[in-house]
Amino acid sequence: MKRIILLATLSFFAISCLIAQRTVTGKVTDDSGEGLPGVNVVIKGTTTGVTTDLDGNYRISVEDGTTLIFSYVGFESQKIEIGSRTSIDVGMSGAIELQEVVVTAAAIEREKRSIGYGISQVDGEELTVARETNIVSALQGKTTGVIVNNSSGNPGGSSQVIIRGITSLAGNNNPLWVVDGIPIFNDQTVTGSRISGNRDTFNGAAVINPDDVESMSILKGAAATALYGSRAAAGAIIVTTKKGKINKGGPQVAVNSTFRVDELFRVPDMQYEFAGGAFAKYDSSVVANAFGSRINGQLVNNHLGEQVELKAHKKNYKDFYETGKTFINNIAIADANERGDYRFSVTSLNQDGVLPGASLDRLTVSMNAGVKHNDWLNTRFGIQYISSDVEGTGAQGANDLNIIGWTTFTPTTDFNLFKPWIDESGNQINNIVGSNNPFWTRFENINRREDDRMIASLTQVVTPVENVNITSRIGYDYNVDRRLLTNRVGTITALTGTFTVDNFIREQFNWDLIADYSTKFGDISLSALGGYNFNSRETRQETLEASDLAIPELFTPSASQTVVPTRDFVKVALQGAYAQIDLRYKNWLTLTLTGRNDWASTLPENNRSYFYPSVSTAFVFTDALNIGNDIFSFGKLRASWAEVGNFANAYALNFRFFPESVADGQYGLDLNFPFLGQLGFNKTNIIPNQALLPEEQTSIEVGTELGFFNGRLSADLTYFKSSNKNQIINQPIPESTGFGFRTANAAELVTSGIELRFDAQILNGDFKWKTIVNYSTNDIKVKDLGSEFTVLPGASAFNSVQIVARDGGSLEILGIPYLRDSLSGRPIIDPSTGRRQAGEATFLGEIFPSVAWGWTNQLSYKGITLSVTVDGKIGGKIKSASVEGLWDGGFTSETAINRQGTFIDREGIIVIDNGDGTFTRRDNDVPVRSTADFWETLSNNSVTEHSIFDADFIKLREIGISYSFPKSILSNLPFTTVQVGVEGRNLALLYSKVPHIDPEANLFGAGSAGFGVERNNVPSTRSYGVNLRLVF
Amino acid sequence: MKTLLSIFLATILAFSFTSCDRTLDINEDPLAATSANPNAVLPFVFAEYSARKTTELGTRTCDVYQYYSNTFNSPKGGSISSFLTGNTWAVWYTNLLGNLVLVEQDAAAAGETSNNIQAVAKIMKGHLFFELTSIWGDVPFTEALDGVEYPTPNFDSQETVLEGVVTLMDEAMDLIDAMPSTGNFDFSSGDLIFNGDINRWRELANSIKIRTLMLIRNVNASESNAETRLATAFTEATVSSPVFLKYEGTSTATNAYFDIIKQFLGPSNEDPSNGLPFGPAPALLNFLNANNDPRANLWINNPSLPAADYGTFPSGTTEAIFSDNLLRADYPDIYFLPSEIDLYRAELILDGVLTGNAQTAFEDGVRYAVNYWGGNIDGFSGTAVSATDVDAFITGLGTVSLQKIHEQLWLEAFLRPVVAWNTVRRTGTPALSPPPGAAITTILKRFDYPPDEVAANPNTPANPDTDTPMWFEDL
Repeated sequence: MKRIILLATLSFFAISCLIAQRTVTGKVTDDSGEGLPGVNVVIKGTTTGVTTDLDGNYRISVEDGTTLIFSYVGFESQKIEIGSRTSIDVGMSGAIELQEVVVTAAAIEREKRSIGYGISQVDGEELTVARETNIVSALQGKTTGVIVNNSSGNPGGSSQVIIRGITSLAGNNNPLWVVDGIPIFNDQTVTGSRISGNRDTFNGAAVINPDDVESMSILKGAAATALYGSRAAAGAIIVTTKKGKINKGGPQVAVNSTFRVDELFRVPDMQYEFAGGAFAKYDSSVVANAFGSRINGQLVNNHLGEQVELKAHKKNYKDFYETGKTFINNIAIADANERGDYRFSVTSLNQDGVLPGASLDRLTVSMNAGVKHNDWLNTRFGIQYISSDVEGTGAQGANDLNIIGWTTFTPTTDFNLFKPWIDESGNQINNIVGSNNPFWTRFENINRREDDRMIASLTQVVTPVENVNITSRIGYDYNVDRRLLTNRVGTITALTGTFTVDNFIREQFNWDLIADYSTKFGDISLSALGGYNFNSRETRQETLEASDLAIPELFTPSASQTVVPTRDFVKVALQGAYAQIDLRYKNWLTLTLTGRNDWASTLPENNRSYFYPSVSTAFVFTDALNIGNDIFSFGKLRASWAEVGNFANAYALNFRFFPESVADGQYGLDLNFPFLGQLGFNKTNIIPNQALLPEEQTSIEVGTELGFFNGRLSADLTYFKSSNKNQIINQPIPESTGFGFRTANAAELVTSGIELRFDAQILNGDFKWKTIVNYSTNDIKVKDLGSEFTVLPGASAFNSVQIVARDGGSLEILGIPYLRDSLSGRPIIDPSTGRRQAGEATFLGEIFPSVAWGWTNQLSYKGITLSVTVDGKIGGKIKSASVEGLWDGGFTSETAINRQGTFIDREGIIVIDNGDGTFTRRDNDVPVRSTADFWETLSNNSVTEHSIFDADFIKLREIGISYSFPKSILSNLPFTTVQVGVEGRNLALLYSKVPHIDPEANLFGAGSAGFGVERNNVPSTRSYGVNLRLVF
Repeated sequence: MKTLLSIFLATILAFSFTSCDRTLDINEDPLAATSANPNAVLPFVFAEYSARKTTELGTRTCDVYQYYSNTFNSPKGGSISSFLTGNTWAVWYTNLLGNLVLVEQDAAAAGETSNNIQAVAKIMKGHLFFELTSIWGDVPFTEALDGVEYPTPNFDSQETVLEGVVTLMDEAMDLIDAMPSTGNFDFSSGDLIFNGDINRWRELANSIKIRTLMLIRNVNASESNAETRLATAFTEATVSSPVFLKYEGTSTATNAYFDIIKQFLGPSNEDPSNGLPFGPAPALLNFLNANNDPRANLWINNPSLPAADYGTFPSGTTEAIFSDNLLRADYPDIYFLPSEIDLYRAELILDGVLTGNAQTAFEDGVRYAVNYWGGNIDGFSGTAVSATDVDAFITGLGTVSLQKIHEQLWLEAFLRPVVAWNTVRRTGTPALSPPPGAAITTILKRFDYPPDEVAANPNTPANPDTDTPMWFEDL
């Protein structure tokens, strides 16, 4: 084959020498007269051509009478007959509007105008206005159709994004994260419990470095993710990393340095009139209780036994929490030429949190390189290595004495007295009964996670003939996650010491082989592609839990009296075949058809193949009907319909007996296996289903994009509705059958909503002002559940609340309210105590917000730019166990009112049963024993109603001001860009109905299906700092 | 160029081999089993049973029949926490009975060499159903544990369940009697109670049968033929030595009565640094002292101090508390003691059901019970009661009477949750009152049905008041 080509080429040259040939040279320039590199100079009617060099010069051999075509993205193409000239200079001018190009599924770039579904794109620059350490959080307020849930203020904490609502009761609601065409893990697993001492650590996608991101496409509906099939039933986020670009002065080096300070975002409104203690008596040894005596400077013994004047230590939490510091430094070297490009970047993130002893250190090294070997073969290679070290993660929830909640800060405790916390023999110095010295738990008990991640991809594109490409993309995601949690010998409730070693290895291998072809006949363009996908994911876990340590700080099994090792293993694989046909008429009508067939390992062997189609259409009616004018410049209608499925988790089909490591009892008083030297195997409590079907989602979407004033004002409106049938749920069955649950396909979740995005370039002169509004609504309905409700997996938070899906309702909180009078709705008071009473468990509101919105304003004047984002949510509920604890203990100012007087619960009502079917009602006039009694008994009998609040809020999310030095100053310096900036994130809570705490907190963490519950979450932080960017 | 093309083609070809269907046949969990050897499942059943019984029922209901003056989260006031009822029901039905039914079915299919396993499974099943009906009264029995046939099991009357327990014991004993002489399944490693000694299992089956018939007899002795069956049962072997699950006393095999102290209150009951200790109820302490019972010194640190009021914890210095010898890490979980059978024998002789010497039977039972605490017990430390003192005590008790037998039955069942509750309810001895401020008029008689069963099973009957007597009380 090669010899034939060689022969032909030689012959051609030989023949061509006979024809009059000459060389033409010239320079191609742009509007300002600058040379344009990379311009294609092609001989018309052939594929022969050259590209201009870095200065815009070109040189080409031509015959007489040929026409040269000069083309370049963003500029009008020019056709020039050479005539008899040997030197032709060409000026290119940008007259056409750049057609916006977005990255869609399978890393295919398409023009936005031809896409029949809504798609949001977030630029890398928007993510770095005020950098977040978890890139998921950076999406908040920037785009429609997504809800972002932050878990806590832990450095290296998790963050969750939910696209277009909850679609799976089994908990598969996380979108698929794809980086440069490679799906990556976004797992978030906890060591230990999600509620008892939850150490919230980051989810897999948090390692994506905002400084390396060029853009992120949010694919929301099933039509958008149709090519990904079942893995993307909950949407997909496509991340494209930065590549090297052609640069006139050689390799471009960019250095970015950020320094930020973090402080507590919101502190409770504490009272400082009354001391720690109970029954109006000061007691230095009591924890979580501030119903002591009034502070009057009286002499008392503090918790160290010293006699001191009783005084309030205002804001004593400041003696515990520290000012956090964050350093983010990035250096990137990039370059490109006609043959290839590369970008190499190193980023270091070093953060000390506000919680003492908490820190996150992350090093990211990434390389993205592409080579254009020749006309028909291109290779792109990318590798990222991310090493993260998280120390001192705070514990959340309850039942763990490492948790520091707001009720630790009794008003009369001087926290400086807690230092030192350890003596020379290694014993804890503490005089509080039943609780640990808070500094001891922070500095002596280890909460560490070391995470190493490597994401690599290799893409090869072969173009055997024009218009046909064959792409092979291989991706590999490898993660080693090692955790160590310890309780040092001497920690109360673990006096003999404990440690847990929890190691995970996760591997994901993905291969896509895609062939695509495009052609044009007449007014119709056709693009077709077909592909094959193989994906396999494996997670291995090995855990060691040990207690009774012989030597403190020696964490090895041989030095521990009790050692319980466990292992876990999950492997799943998926094969898919997919195709897409795109038909375009002229430039304004597009019809796209896709189909994907998936074969999944987690479904029964005889029934594991499923086919998912989609149809979408886009119609630019302003072009079609030629009604575009300067005022109404662009109008597009789009509609789509798609079907996709969501597969079962691994091993759900077989009846299994599990080796147990614990025979559990109440209060955590467990027996361990081996017991008396024997292992114990326990059958599954869930009856598996051999005929399990995947969840089936059908969604439709209609929308419109409108542009006014030639793009100065644009609006994008979408309505979507998605019906998710055959939910895979574990239905509760009577336990007297010997099992608690049965896996079944049942229930339907219907989600719907609208998404509106509104962009306006209000001023466009020297002073520019752009405003962007994002507004999304979401409504979730549960149908055909087969029982009154089902608890979402992993979403039970102690005895007072459960997050459930309610048949005929939505996702709601199930909890116990006050017993209320049916006539007046007021709580019924027990006349013998004056207290409220508990009612029957009931549904206390929907947890998912119905509206999420964001408003960004970008102003710039000459070199100064200012970006301000405000965002908020409307709807949804949050149960705050922290507020409940603050009230229960008398910590906040509302509990200090009328402490020493008679307290009557005025809202209550007394209802007397007259015995004859009638009732006498009167306002409550029965005083409680004391004001303290009222607050302490509000949560008696597991009543939770009072601590469930509307979760609506408005936050001033970020402000970024930057100044770019003008060219006049820069010309004397070696830099091409110098930019300084001031930035702040999570700046202010402008509106909230939740007292004392940040309404955005989630106890369960991003890996669980549940949210809407907060309990002793590590407080979130506000950060502000400075940023310096240098490019040379 | 050719090299590049070859590399590219080779890459594609290499990965195309992964496209076989076989790569998707990986849905078997390598870390779990699909069938279970009885030697692996039975240890789980025994350990989980004791773990849950001692913590949920033991530490929480020990003041219902007034052994303890007070404990945490107790239902003695008439209100049952949803966790107490829910956890017990769930563990008994799904963790214990659910596993036992699978073991029983596998053993039945395996033939007569697995008669021993089938018998053990039946005996444990019967024992657990006995406890279920003792706690809740009407419970699913005939339709239970078969989710395919009976997805919402109906509840059977207590009489049906108790008769069913007797039948299970008879079936187990028949299976044991029909065992072949060789080739029997070796379950000695999985049998944490008897180490594979099937004869002791037969003794236990017979003893549980007697215990059950004593309840049935209380209601309609003649109609149910209970007394005839009791007479027959007493001709066969009954438990001759304590039946228990041993606790090694390590940090992960600690008896819950002690563990609850160690984890939450302090190093031991006599040294509680973080809270108040556990102590005897006045009913217990006064009764022991009134009879100069030697067990007073074994159970209680200082029996000369008064007991704390019922419903309160003792102060630790001025009121009597339990001794560390009693509440310790390696105290076993007792299923059955021979003294219970002796006392039943005495009762039945007095009632003319059996022939023999009631006084001897009574004294045998009491002597065993006292000696057990004074030395027979595993890991006992302290001074054993001397034989003279035991004899003096028994002489002091005087002539046997039903009242005295019932009183001794109450003491004999010390720290055994369901057995103690049954004897107090059946005999009405001692006469106990509910605590001050209770919502019920008598002592607690039953638990509410658990919310999960109520929610999932429409055949769950309405909850009777928690002071509604059990059927076997015949009130």
